[in-house]
Amino acid sequence: MPKRHETDDESSRASGLSRRQFLRGVGAVGAGSALVTDLLAPDVSAAEPLPLAEPPAGTTLHKGLQAVTLQVNGTAMTMQIEPRTTLLNALRNHADPPVTGPKLICDQGACGGCTVFLDGKTVYGCMQLAVDTVGKQIQTIEGLSGANGELSPVQEAFVHRDAMMCGFCTPGFVLSATALLKSNPNPTHEEIQKGCAGNLCRCGTYPHIFEAVAEAAQKMRGGA
Amino acid sequence: MAEPQNQNPPKKKKIKVPKVVNGVDTLVEIEVDDTAGPMWGPRDGHTLLNHDLRRVDGAAKVTGAAKYTYDVRPVGMLYGRILTSPYASAEVISIDTGAAEKMEGVKTVISYGTKKLRYEGDPVAAVAATSPEIAEDALRAIKVKYSKLDHVVTYEQAIKPGAPKVYQKENGNIRPGEKRGDRAAAEAALLKCDAVVEHVFVTTMQHHTCLETHGVTVDYNGGDSATVYASTQGTFSIPGEAAAALGLPQKSVTAVVEYMGGGFGSKFGLDLPGSIACELSKKAKAPVKLMLTRPQEFLASGNRNGSWQKVKAGATKDGKLVALIAEQHQLGGLGEGGLAGLPYIYNVEVIYREVDAVHTHQDASRAMRGPGHPQPSFAMEALMDDLAAKIGMDPIEFRKKNTTDVAYHRQLDRGAQEIKWEQRPAVPGAGVAYGPYKSLKRGMGCGCATWGGGGGPSCQVDVFIQPDGAIAVQVGTQDLGTGSRTYTGAIVAEEFGLPLSAVETRIGRSNYGQANASGGSTTTASLAPAVKDAAYNARIQFFEKVAPMLGGKPEDLIARDGKIYASTAPEKTLTWKQACATLGMAGIAARGEWKQGLSGGGVHGAQFAEVEVDIETGQVRVLKMVGVQDCGLPMNRRGVQSQLNGGMIQGLGYALLEQHWVDSHTGNMLNTAMDEYKIPGCLEIPEMVSIIDDGDTRNVVIGMAEPAAIPGASAIANAVYNACGVRVTSLPITPDKILDGLSKQKKA
Repeated sequence: MPKRHETDDESSRASGLSRRQFLRGVGAVGAGSALVTDLLAPDVSAAEPLPLAEPPAGTTLHKGLQAVTLQVNGTAMTMQIEPRTTLLNALRNHADPPVTGPKLICDQGACGGCTVFLDGKTVYGCMQLAVDTVGKQIQTIEGLSGANGELSPVQEAFVHRDAMMCGFCTPGFVLSATALLKSNPNPTHEEIQKGCAGNLCRCGTYPHIFEAVAEAAQKMRGGA
Repeated sequence: MAEPQNQNPPKKKKIKVPKVVNGVDTLVEIEVDDTAGPMWGPRDGHTLLNHDLRRVDGAAKVTGAAKYTYDVRPVGMLYGRILTSPYASAEVISIDTGAAEKMEGVKTVISYGTKKLRYEGDPVAAVAATSPEIAEDALRAIKVKYSKLDHVVTYEQAIKPGAPKVYQKENGNIRPGEKRGDRAAAEAALLKCDAVVEHVFVTTMQHHTCLETHGVTVDYNGGDSATVYASTQGTFSIPGEAAAALGLPQKSVTAVVEYMGGGFGSKFGLDLPGSIACELSKKAKAPVKLMLTRPQEFLASGNRNGSWQKVKAGATKDGKLVALIAEQHQLGGLGEGGLAGLPYIYNVEVIYREVDAVHTHQDASRAMRGPGHPQPSFAMEALMDDLAAKIGMDPIEFRKKNTTDVAYHRQLDRGAQEIKWEQRPAVPGAGVAYGPYKSLKRGMGCGCATWGGGGGPSCQVDVFIQPDGAIAVQVGTQDLGTGSRTYTGAIVAEEFGLPLSAVETRIGRSNYGQANASGGSTTTASLAPAVKDAAYNARIQFFEKVAPMLGGKPEDLIARDGKIYASTAPEKTLTWKQACATLGMAGIAARGEWKQGLSGGGVHGAQFAEVEVDIETGQVRVLKMVGVQDCGLPMNRRGVQSQLNGGMIQGLGYALLEQHWVDSHTGNMLNTAMDEYKIPGCLEIPEMVSIIDDGDTRNVVIGMAEPAAIPGASAIANAVYNACGVRVTSLPITPDKILDGLSKQKKA
């Protein structure tokens, strides 16, 4: 049986149904099981637009480019994006200047490379639609250093302990570690591992990352 | 090898040294010590090298300021996407791109027409559009009719008589390779052994899983020059290929590799996405970024070749390896792959081996950290422990009896001490079970590696000193995360007695001095000597100019702690800035090249693992790993440890987690996503101890990235065997295989 070219986004898979498309489909019709069945049928021509049900009363469906304003690191950034654009892609591809600290790695919420703070909480930028973040405070790695560019304690500890190699996973790890220390200023080794478990590194920098987080924690508690 | 330090006053000679004046190479004559030239000097005399260095690009990496190829966005840039084959073997019967071309925002569509597709991932068409979302819509709108052909995607399918042929010219799918030794003699020798072990060892393909996928950003607007940002291990592997693809002279193309997000052996040259990006950019007359999607990264950016190895080996009861017969098949998909010949690092009296390649309809394998070594290491180290158990000898003692290389003896002893080897069960599986359900058993194992590496004359490094005290080192090399940028700066800073932060390090552009691509652990051994030579040449010139101010001869001058003085008149000193102010407007420009005697090749490495096996669930947890690695003179000790940790962690993934799942019926890879192809994460990381083997006193630089990634999986497999007595002969070691082994144990 010919396999469908499901290439709607970067996480397209052999199954022909990406997580995001699934969510989008469900979002458009509520929890419409008929649509889901349809999406899973392998022979549906992929070029056909997804069937849309009537929107709930009092809401409008938008299509095509929309002007949205996102609050990024304390600055209002207005950009033209489609409703389906993820927060990650909005920052990287549509914000001007580009905000590229958050990295696109797995594009499916598996690696943590696109971690950002949304109203102070860590989220994966690839799992958020940009339009859903309007009115919220978005903080990326670019917004973590001090006003004069001085490194935060976590950033400084990462450099000091050589907690990076290629550096591609580093922004995500730094933000996850920062969030961990906010909620738990004195984590055990296991708590550090768990606190960073949503992030992946391929160079194998982990032992130095754990050291750096412990060192930052100690410094932030006022230790030597 | 180490050069002795010259204790007597040296004789003088005049030499010509290259100097760059306004970008033009000229030669100037200077007087130097007759025996001299750059030397690393005594191991304990370094102020920066052989110390823990602060990565010079660390701040850029923790703030998001570091711009990778994926991050570059020139004005008017389009997003490229490739439509790839959904089948392992098929033909494109027809392709209709009409609808895609008409879509708003789609600027260019390329069809590769009717063609044969030989792997899942083979390109069918490509598009460039104003956003990645639109580019993907366009791919979906391309109508392709495929005719599916029979495929072979597993070793078993490929060797079946009458199997579909991957290459029509070939005689079946087997490409014959090396045959070494006398089989009859080896068979006869095996009969005389006190212990014989035979296994079939299987490893699946391993994926590099670079976090930054393969790709380039081509900044070209249809004019007569282009800049190509590339995620590559070879800055200079780009301009020639990109120029050809764009139809420009090579000198008109500049490659930029400021930062790159991981390569591990898979990123050389323009490659598939780069070639297509150039094609799209040329056609659209606009910049194009084309990075592989994550599934494509699994399907079309190479892999460590799988292997199927049948090995029989025998030893005498006093611990001497006598005979070995090996059949080794390289499973590199469309590529040949590679396997180091067994018995790998150990000495065996009589051997016979056959090595060949078996092709399948899968993406061609590429080099991956220690290419061709982890597979035979896994097989050989398993045989070592099995034989040691059979003859009742300690596995370390058995290893020492079968290698005369003292480096291995030293490293095995050091690692054994660190992991507390004496605490392991002497007989595999004989330890006492513990834990809440009395289901946990501990064990330890080890393995050894070898790598050649070495350097050669491939780098040209420039050092510039300005009258205001600015000092810069410049070379086109790339930093894969290994820290080449950092030690390049450190070598120059140390030469002038400056802190590392005083030197500006410029790398990653093809319009800087030439440098080799980073493969085979040759970068440091090629680059560091050239940097040292440039720094030395700059210092000779610098001392010539400032000597009169200090009332000494140039050869008596010393640069230390930011000051310059003559050893004969130490009361007179100049600060670095004061000294530079005397240089005149031209400042100093010196070039260096690789010199014999500063680099070496040939490293070892021993790694240990302690694991805990749950004999109820088959779950394996690695508790501790220890690596002992030689590398001659360490440039940056912390950086070496980072790489050694990384190699061991990749070995852990190879041992326990990373499986290339391919469905033999559909021919498709089933786990082309990062939550399905498991690389090690935070929770899998054990206690790790990375030890630089300072017993290696060779005063030369040697790369060590490859050996670090070789024996970790072997050590873990042996630790599992030691813990529960089950020899798992295929990677990854998953709970089902352990439970299967335990049930066979019970029956026996």
